[in-house]
Amino acid sequence: MASNVLKDIRLREYSLDNLELIRRLRESQIKIRPEVCIERARHLTHYMKNMSTDEEPAEIRYAKAVNYFLSSKEPLFFDDNLLAGTTTSKAFGAPVYPEYTGMTIWPELDTISDRKKNPLKLSPEEADELNFEIYPYWMERNILEYTRKKYNNPECMGLFEKFVFFIAGKAGTISHTIPGYTVALDRGLEFIIEEAASRERHIRDSGDITDEKRRKIEFYRAVQIALQGIIAYARNLSRKAAELAGETDDPFRKQNFLTMSEICAKVPAKPATTFREAVNSLWIIQVGIHAESINMAMSPGRLDQVLYKYYKRGIDNGTLTHKEAIEIMSCLWLKLNDNTNLVPETAEELWGGAGTVPAVTVGGVDENGEDAVNELTYIILRVTELLKLRDPSMNARYHYDKNTREYRDRVAEVIVNTRAVPAFHNDVVDIATLENQGVKTEHARDYGIIGCVEMGVPGRSYDASSSIIFNLVSALELALYNGRRPVVGDEQIGPVTGDPDDFRSFEEFWEAFKKQAAWLMGKAVELNEYFGLVHQEIYPTPLLSAFFEGPMEEGKDLIFGGAMYNASGATHIGFADTVDSLNAIEKAVFMDGKCTFGELIRALKADFRGYEKLHAYLVNRTPKYGTEDPVAVKNSQNLIRFLYDFYQGHTNYRGGKYRPAYWTTTNHAGQGKLSGALPNGRKAHEVFASGITPVSQAARDLAACLRTVGGLDGLCIPMGEALNLKYPSVSGEEDLGRFAAAVEAYFRSGGLHVQFNIMSYETLLDARDNPDKYPELLVRVSGYSAYFNALNDAMKEEIITRTEYDIETGRANPFPAAHKSMLPYE
Amino acid sequence: MDDFLNFIFFRKLRAKWLMKKWLRCMESEFAEEFLETLLKLMRLVFLVNYRDFRRNIEGFNGRYLFKSRDRSITVSAVFRDNRMEVSERLIDNPHITIEFRNGRVLLNYLISPRPDILGSMLRQDVTPRGNLNYLYKFAYMAKRLQLMATGSV
Repeated sequence: MASNVLKDIRLREYSLDNLELIRRLRESQIKIRPEVCIERARHLTHYMKNMSTDEEPAEIRYAKAVNYFLSSKEPLFFDDNLLAGTTTSKAFGAPVYPEYTGMTIWPELDTISDRKKNPLKLSPEEADELNFEIYPYWMERNILEYTRKKYNNPECMGLFEKFVFFIAGKAGTISHTIPGYTVALDRGLEFIIEEAASRERHIRDSGDITDEKRRKIEFYRAVQIALQGIIAYARNLSRKAAELAGETDDPFRKQNFLTMSEICAKVPAKPATTFREAVNSLWIIQVGIHAESINMAMSPGRLDQVLYKYYKRGIDNGTLTHKEAIEIMSCLWLKLNDNTNLVPETAEELWGGAGTVPAVTVGGVDENGEDAVNELTYIILRVTELLKLRDPSMNARYHYDKNTREYRDRVAEVIVNTRAVPAFHNDVVDIATLENQGVKTEHARDYGIIGCVEMGVPGRSYDASSSIIFNLVSALELALYNGRRPVVGDEQIGPVTGDPDDFRSFEEFWEAFKKQAAWLMGKAVELNEYFGLVHQEIYPTPLLSAFFEGPMEEGKDLIFGGAMYNASGATHIGFADTVDSLNAIEKAVFMDGKCTFGELIRALKADFRGYEKLHAYLVNRTPKYGTEDPVAVKNSQNLIRFLYDFYQGHTNYRGGKYRPAYWTTTNHAGQGKLSGALPNGRKAHEVFASGITPVSQAARDLAACLRTVGGLDGLCIPMGEALNLKYPSVSGEEDLGRFAAAVEAYFRSGGLHVQFNIMSYETLLDARDNPDKYPELLVRVSGYSAYFNALNDAMKEEIITRTEYDIETGRANPFPAAHKSMLPYE
Repeated sequence: MDDFLNFIFFRKLRAKWLMKKWLRCMESEFAEEFLETLLKLMRLVFLVNYRDFRRNIEGFNGRYLFKSRDRSITVSAVFRDNRMEVSERLIDNPHITIEFRNGRVLLNYLISPRPDILGSMLRQDVTPRGNLNYLYKFAYMAKRLQLMATGSV
């Protein structure tokens, strides 16, 4: 039930003016340059190379390696943050995970510190250590190369490595899930260790050790070993904090070190009692999880629910004030920003700018379906509003029948004040969508957001939501060119589906498209399965498994399907461009007879040079997704349904279904830059539209846009969608009311998610041209937040050209005439 | 001993000369000799162990095959026993085969200040087949040579 006795839900009496510590920490954090951190790679490599053998069971070996790293990990305190523990050995570090994609920076070890885009400091000594000591060990042992060798360099891997068909996420990460922290906070890691030990003893005592029993014993042993690593790290933090307390004369620092020393001596090994203990326990566990799993979209989940009892207890017994709660949560936000991901320069150019996207979710309903908003929800919203940081990726659930209007409006206000966060999620549809995937109602009601927009059940579902990033435009082009894709040459890639000029109806082309898409998606699924099986074989996740329901009961690691619910996510790039291209083909070739299919393809190959009249017709006269044109509505709904049916027909290596999604991070910009001209009039090498958002400038009326996007069947979008909208400004109560009402109307029409950038074309153009004027400009990309300056040029261009709506009229504002050449069809 | 020192001295001079040639090659319009010069230079720098460069291949076994698209160039580089062997013939079981359109695109792929690796692969200017980690290692060594040649490290 909702529980809020705050006099002012805005908590306006607390600001960075009177939160001096937080202001100081934030200022210093924003200024820090990121550095490559090799600490984990060093210890992991040393353990694997010198202290274990390939013959050791993978569960035990990896758990021991993680334990070794955590036990050796240096306890560091870089500033006056109230929470102990750091993800890396740098104040702002990009950890190297050599078993995933950590070797991709090898060619630039000498230059990464000075590269143009998002440089990462790396000392010559540490570069040498990577080059001579660490990387050589992993030459044949990272996921990609192990898979290539084991499966004899399959065709699906070749397609992946062309980059323009699909991205196979598991080569670089699984992560993308929400661990359950409640048991660890309430009962402590020692309780989980004892449970694992007890189960191990029970099996050993049962006699007759079969292979299955042996595997369970190994799993339970591995859980104990891995969790003991976290406890060892916490104790090292405690010892170091005590030492530092003795070395400083500053009374605040001395007391802070002493308090952290006491806290780390207790948690996460034992149950947390106070709010600060609970938050620090959660943070140390998060650090521990990243010792095993890569730092990408490992999401804390519903913190206003997980931490509420500690908050309430402290407030009720007078040991915690609202100010202290704000300070502690602010410290957690800053800690969540202490790491970034390691990205090679080429990938930065195409896909850069993302943080590590740990998603926090607030609001919505509880497991009983009642309003779950509480005081901590508002504390977290205030922290988000004050700090305006890239991470965590903030998400607000909203149930229009259960949550109050004041909560809805407060979320809207925070979005306006930060210009970007949090994102809004529709409880009604999200819960129904998860139920439709077989999730129990009470569990579905407890959903949280993973990374960008994906829904998962904290501590119960292992979702691997970024398994496949599929470029829909590539399937469209394969259909247009009879199984070839000009951007990669003349090679026959997909099946022969016929020369489109011979098609007599749109349905024939639609069938060809579906055939190409199904073939290509099948290859993406095939590769994901190979990667999944290799993860099972060499890099299981006993530590992460300890924070889920299912693995402990089953004696089975998450990677083997131990979680209560399993899924693999497949998200799609270029949805709107594909739909609009289908619309254009249907209308221009088969309805209006404006051109033959052959002429259309010749125009595409010429990038519309010499076909200006046809181009103008395609841009201005063919149906657009995001409008209520029946052709556009039909094609968008058919595509959503087709993709849903395809994925749901495939079961992954963990026994879960594949689930489609429509969020694109920055891939829509990068992939657009690598694609030819399209039938909707988009020219070659221009960006695609983001997420499930209509093409820039195509949907001129916001109400119609929201009705049509909301009209897509949410049940067919079980891994989430990202709708990106832009208002130039929202000022005053009336505007705010319109803003919140539009969200509610969209949700009532069936939309799952919406996020905003509250900034004008002019502001964004100015930010592009004068980056120094906007050092902290936060923008929503397609499911996560980024600093505008950190984005690549293509992504900046895409955000600038997104349709801007007038808050009062709901009509699209005209794009500045002087910059029209930026639009994808100009 | 004198002969040996002369030998080393000569090789170092030759290495410096090759570095200059290689830099000119990179700056030239066509860069067709880029690969040949790079491999010769690399081999020589390993041999004389200029600035401890040989450490890069201590204990390293790697088999590389470079082929131009028109088959006019086929060069293999084999690293074993802390040495590098270069030959103009095919080898069996390379760890990685790198097929390229011309010297310029290979240069761009490996060591350009702004490498367009994705673009190169998309245009099939350069097509690697095999274990990419071997390519990353080679690219690192090539880049290091370039920085040594320009005095940047």
